[in-house]
This record gives sequence, structure tokens and C-alpha cells, in this order.
Amino acid sequence: MAALGCLFGVFALVVAACGSDDSGGGGGGGGGKASGTTLTIYSSLPLQGTSKGQSEAVISGEKLALKQIGGKVGKYKIKYSSLDDSTAQNPGNADDGQTAQNARKAVQDKSTIFYLGEFNSGGTKISLPILNKAGIPQISPSNTAVGLTTDEAGADPGEPKKYYPAKTRTYARVVPKDTIQGAALATTMKEDGCKSVHIFNDKTTYGAGLGRNVEAASKEQGITVEGNDGTDRNAANYRSLATKIKADCFMGSGVTGENYVQAFKDVAAADPDIKLYGPDGVAEEAFTSTKKGIPASVAARTKITVATLGLKEFKRRGNAKAEKFFADYASTYGKTNPDPYAIYGYETMALALDTLKSLGNKANDRQAVVKKLVGGTKGRDSVLGTYDIDKNGDTTLTDYGLYTIKDGEPAFQKVIKAQGAK
Amino acid sequence: MESASVPSERVRPTGGAQAWELISKYGLIALLIAFPAYYAITDVAAGDGLSRIGENLVAGISNGAIWALVALGYTLVYGIIELINFAHGDNFMIGSFVAFGLYGVFGLGLGTGALGLAVGLFACLLISMVVSGALNVMIERVAYRPLRNAPKLAPLITAVGVSFILQNVGVLWLGASQVGIPDLIDAQRQVVEIAGVPISRSDLLAVAVTVPLVALLTAFVNRTRLGKAMRATAQDPEAARLMGINVDTTISLTFLLGGLLAGAGGLIYALYQTSVWYFQGFTAGLIAFTAAVMGGIGNLRGAVIGGLIIGCIQQISDNRIGNEWTPAVVFGYLVLIMVFRPQGLIGEETREAG
Repeated sequence: MAALGCLFGVFALVVAACGSDDSGGGGGGGGGKASGTTLTIYSSLPLQGTSKGQSEAVISGEKLALKQIGGKVGKYKIKYSSLDDSTAQNPGNADDGQTAQNARKAVQDKSTIFYLGEFNSGGTKISLPILNKAGIPQISPSNTAVGLTTDEAGADPGEPKKYYPAKTRTYARVVPKDTIQGAALATTMKEDGCKSVHIFNDKTTYGAGLGRNVEAASKEQGITVEGNDGTDRNAANYRSLATKIKADCFMGSGVTGENYVQAFKDVAAADPDIKLYGPDGVAEEAFTSTKKGIPASVAARTKITVATLGLKEFKRRGNAKAEKFFADYASTYGKTNPDPYAIYGYETMALALDTLKSLGNKANDRQAVVKKLVGGTKGRDSVLGTYDIDKNGDTTLTDYGLYTIKDGEPAFQKVIKAQGAK
Repeated sequence: MESASVPSERVRPTGGAQAWELISKYGLIALLIAFPAYYAITDVAAGDGLSRIGENLVAGISNGAIWALVALGYTLVYGIIELINFAHGDNFMIGSFVAFGLYGVFGLGLGTGALGLAVGLFACLLISMVVSGALNVMIERVAYRPLRNAPKLAPLITAVGVSFILQNVGVLWLGASQVGIPDLIDAQRQVVEIAGVPISRSDLLAVAVTVPLVALLTAFVNRTRLGKAMRATAQDPEAARLMGINVDTTISLTFLLGGLLAGAGGLIYALYQTSVWYFQGFTAGLIAFTAAVMGGIGNLRGAVIGGLIIGCIQQISDNRIGNEWTPAVVFGYLVLIMVFRPQGLIGEETREAG
């Protein structure tokens, strides 16, 4: 019995030790001060698979913003560290295990001051609670899932509270949430004369949530929603699912990596007249390229919404910062038509650096940074336009860009003023 | 594998057991038929006719034909050495990748003429079959043969290891995402409509390649000396060896045949889906193995019937219930069949089964 008692005691200690690891591995728990005069900004994005092109564009934008301030904010030197949240076996998306590992790495690093990512909302679901518990400020360049910040339509039960174990908001994003993208897609379909729509969603946090938002917005705008079907990523094809579509429009609420090239191909083949719509999740080369993505005949029928606007639109609005960004990007990387996400990468880093700059010697105080970022960002004049970050961490920007596909790349067409968007 | 009749001293089943046997066999067949029948009746009742269920079944048969080709590889190998060759699905993936690679070698593209396409694709078919066949033989020689007398778990876990190795070869080859490939045959173009049911080029292709291959395989196993050697080895390798059969060569031949079919399936899959990816083998392998078990492992007819049944269940479920529920429906059926008829619909043909 004594041996058993000892064994139980050891077991209890081990369990207790394992339990304490849930805090994220220690580090700057509770949002203390980052140590030293070098502050580290981590970036965590999928660097493999279908989202590789978008992630590289984000990184280019982030590096450009950092380079422009000479890699220093006041007395602090800024170190940039890029992490991959995807794996060879799970590319194109944030891998849960790898994402958690990235977040823990940032938590364990006492010099961490910002964490920029994830690219996928499903990834942020994993990293946000870990970073929040440690008080590390986080900005995503691309997350649109509603439930990360609010409990509005499209959120799952328990969202967003479950992502904030510290009970304070530490997360912000520079793209409008999916209630707005959903409304933008519905507005576009309405303008195109859609009477009914059939939705496929990829069952991810992003795809399922956006699907619900498009469904709600479509109904509000008088478009009949004939179905919202979840799709299995591992299905060989979606032919039989596609043949049941009777609507005159189709919306694929998913990301390329969830087999959405196949989904669009099968829907287009099942109904040669159906109009096709996709969200920002497919606004990437792996989808738009006619060599590896959808065929040219399908691309010609597809419209995509992305939160970013084209250079022409920024010029028309007289946004000098955006014009300068495009010029600097071209001179640095030799690309005059960057991926739509490059400007978001730039703005993510610029927002982080400006927040640090505004705090002067307190730039190493995570709590002060969080306070300044979430709810404290007001009337920010940026490459994206002027916006606030509200108390939930959402941007007040609402404009969406409508893109078609030309020569295998997304081509900006116009701004969508989403009807009924909140 | 379908073996010649084996004299055995089986206990004669009682009347009750015979009745249960009949009920479990035909009851399950009735249950399988009930699935499309229910939707056919609801369609007719709604005044929609039978064309929708017809479309589901046509898509099911063409998809199932591909699963059947892969399932045959599982059943051949299990029949002869009672090993679940987990790497077989990945060999099928390699077949697809080889075929896609050959598009470039032979200059096959959307602009290629009909004759060039026919010749080029036939060459692709032969080469991908040979590559997958040779790969399967090599895997058997390197990874399984040294473990012939080892405990059963050893080759099983080795097969899992080989599967992972092939998957990683796929990742290194074409990356880890789905890759869209040229739709050389305009796969979904309708060729003919029968009773309101459209038949596409890809439907015809899948059946046109699968049926002769299955017929050839069946004839080979049943009518040739080598086939007889395979059946003898499947029944009793020691007795076969005593009768002068080279058991190792026979087993290699079995792996070769399975690999050839996987290569053919790989090309059809590439033409049918117009996309390939490294994980397709895992998914196809799971489905095909399920098909082989459902039909009766070791039984060639069972593998084909199992493949076709799963293809049809998948397509009906996709169309009527929802794509996200399809794996649950397919495996639900498998569980049901295993519970009431563990030997599969047609019956096992293995040493264990007798």
C-alpha cells in the first residue's frame, strides 16, 4: 500500500507539472515587460502549400515596414523572426500542433513584444489563448472569422470568450471581419442578378463562419439560399454534390488548401451557366493560376472578394501612403502588382511599430502595448485608409475589393460598399 | 484470393445457423439496395423520375471502378500472405504522379490532337502500370520478404512505414497541396444520355479501362499455371513449396499484379479528377481496403463488388445527405456488414477462412 501511495504521489506531481504547462510554458506571463534592449516581433504564417505566395507577400510587406524605420524604435532594436505554422503534411493552413509550438516559442522568449499572425483564423484559435494568457500583443494580417473578436452572427457558441483566458483583449486585426465580407459577397451577387445561391463551406473556422455570414447577408438582400453544404477535404471529388445545385449562383466559402480548386471545377462542370464567387481564402496563385489552379474557362466565370483595394483605387482616394507603399514595394522587390496581402503585411508591421513608437521608453511593456493597441488605436492614418481598432480588436474599415481573374492572377475591379454590413 | 476448392472437415451448419447465414447475407444485400431504392421512390413520388438516382449510380459506378482497381491490389496481397499492404494506396498515388509527369514528357496538353492523345495516354497507362508494378515488387522484396517469418505485427508496421515514405516522396515530388492538372479528355463532357442520365467521358473511361483489366486478372488467376500457383500459395504456402512452386516468385508476381492495377488506377484517377496530391493514396487506400473487406478480403469478385458499392454509397450520400457525412455513411455500412457478416458480402477467401 505504501508503494502504491508513493506511486500515486509521484503521479499527482507529474499531472500537476503537466497541468502547469498549459500556461504556455511560462515566460512573460501576465504581460510583464520584455527584457533587454532588443525586442522581438514574431511572424507566424503558413510558408508551405497553397498559401505560400500570400504568406511571402505578407512577410515582404512586414520586412519593408521594418526596413523603413531602420529596424529600431527609440532605444530598442527590433528583431524580426519568421515562423512557419504549416507542416509538410498539412500545408496551406495553420497546423494546430505547429501553431501551438510557435505561440509557445514566442511566450518563452522574454524579448517578445509582438506576435504577427496567424494567417488562418483556425490557426489563431490555437495561438490566441496561449498568447493571451502570457499577455503578448497579437495582430493578424488576414483573419476574418467573426468569432475571434465578437459573438455576432457567424460565431460559434462560446466565442470569443474562450480565446481570452486572461479576460483582457490582446488581439487586433487589420482586415474587416466576415460579417462585412459576407455582406460584400451578397451585395456583389445581388448586383450580378443572382436570385438564388448555393454555398459550399470547408468546415474550417473561417469557411464555416463565412458561409453562415453569406447565408445571413444573402437572405437580408432577398437572395434565396438553396443550401450551405460542408465539404470533406479528402473527398476525391464533389461531382454528385455539385449536381444537386439548382441555384443560379455558387459561393465557395473555403480556402484553396481545403480542395477548393476541385470544388469550383466540379460545380462549374455541373452547371455551365452558374456564376461563381469566392472569398479572400481563394485569392491566391494556387487557385487563380490556370496552370495549377482552376482552368481558364472556370476562372473567367469566377469573382473573388478581398479586403484590399487596388492601386488605382488608392490613387483615386488620394491615399499618398498607399501610393508610396506600392512605389517602395516595386523598388524593393521589383513587383509593381504585389499580391493583395502584401499591403496587409506592411500595415500589420507598421501598426505594431507605431504602437511601440508612441510608448517611447515603455515600448517594452506588453501591458502598455496591448492597452495602446486594442481600443487605443484611434484615427490611424495608414496605407489602408484611416481607421480605429475598437475595443474588440476589430478594424473600423469596411470596404472590400472585387477581383476577377486575369492571366492567372487576381485583378482588382471595383470597391464593394457592402449593404447592411456592421 | 479465390482458391480452388479445399477439402476440409467442416462442421455441418445447423438449420438455425443456415437460416442466419441466409438472413445476414441477403438481409445486408437488401439493406444496401434499400439505400438507392428509398431515394428512387421519393424521387418518383415527387414526380422527378429516376434520372437523379440514375446520375448518382452512374457516378458511383465510375468512381467505384477506380476504387475496385485499388481494392484488387489489397485483396490479392492479403489473399496470398495475409498482409494489409498499407503502402498500396500510396503506390496508386505514385502511379498518378508518374502519369502526370509523363504528360510533360510526351508533350500532352489541351491542344494535343485526338490520335496523339490516344497514343500518348496509352503509353502513359503502360508506363505508370510498369512503374507501380515494379515499385510494389521492390517494396515486397526489401520491406516484407525479410519479415516473412516474423510476427504478423512486424510486416504490418513496416507497411505503415513504407506508406509514410511514399507519401513523403509525393510531397517532395509535387508539393503537399492538391495540384490541378490539364483536363486532357474534357472529363466531364457528356458523351451520351440514356433515359435522362448523362454519361460523361470520364465515366466511360473508368469503366472501359477497369472492366478489361479485371477480366484479364480473373482469367490470369483462374486459367494460367502462374494463377494456379498463386491460388495454391494462397491456400497453403508450405504445401505449394513441396509441390515445386517457387513461393517467393509467386508472391512477387502477386505484388506485381497489384502494382500494375494501382498504376492503371493512378492514371484513370488523374484523368478523372484532373488533380492529384500526395494524400490521395491514403484516402483511396482507406476506401479501397474498406471495399475489399466489405466484399470479402481475398476474394477478387468481392473487391470489385465492394468498390462499386462504396462508390455508389459515396455518390448517393454526397448528393442526398451531404459530402461532410459521406465518410460516416460509408463506414457505418461497413460496421453493419462486419457485425452481421464478418466474412464480407461474398465471403473471405483466405487460409484463415478456409
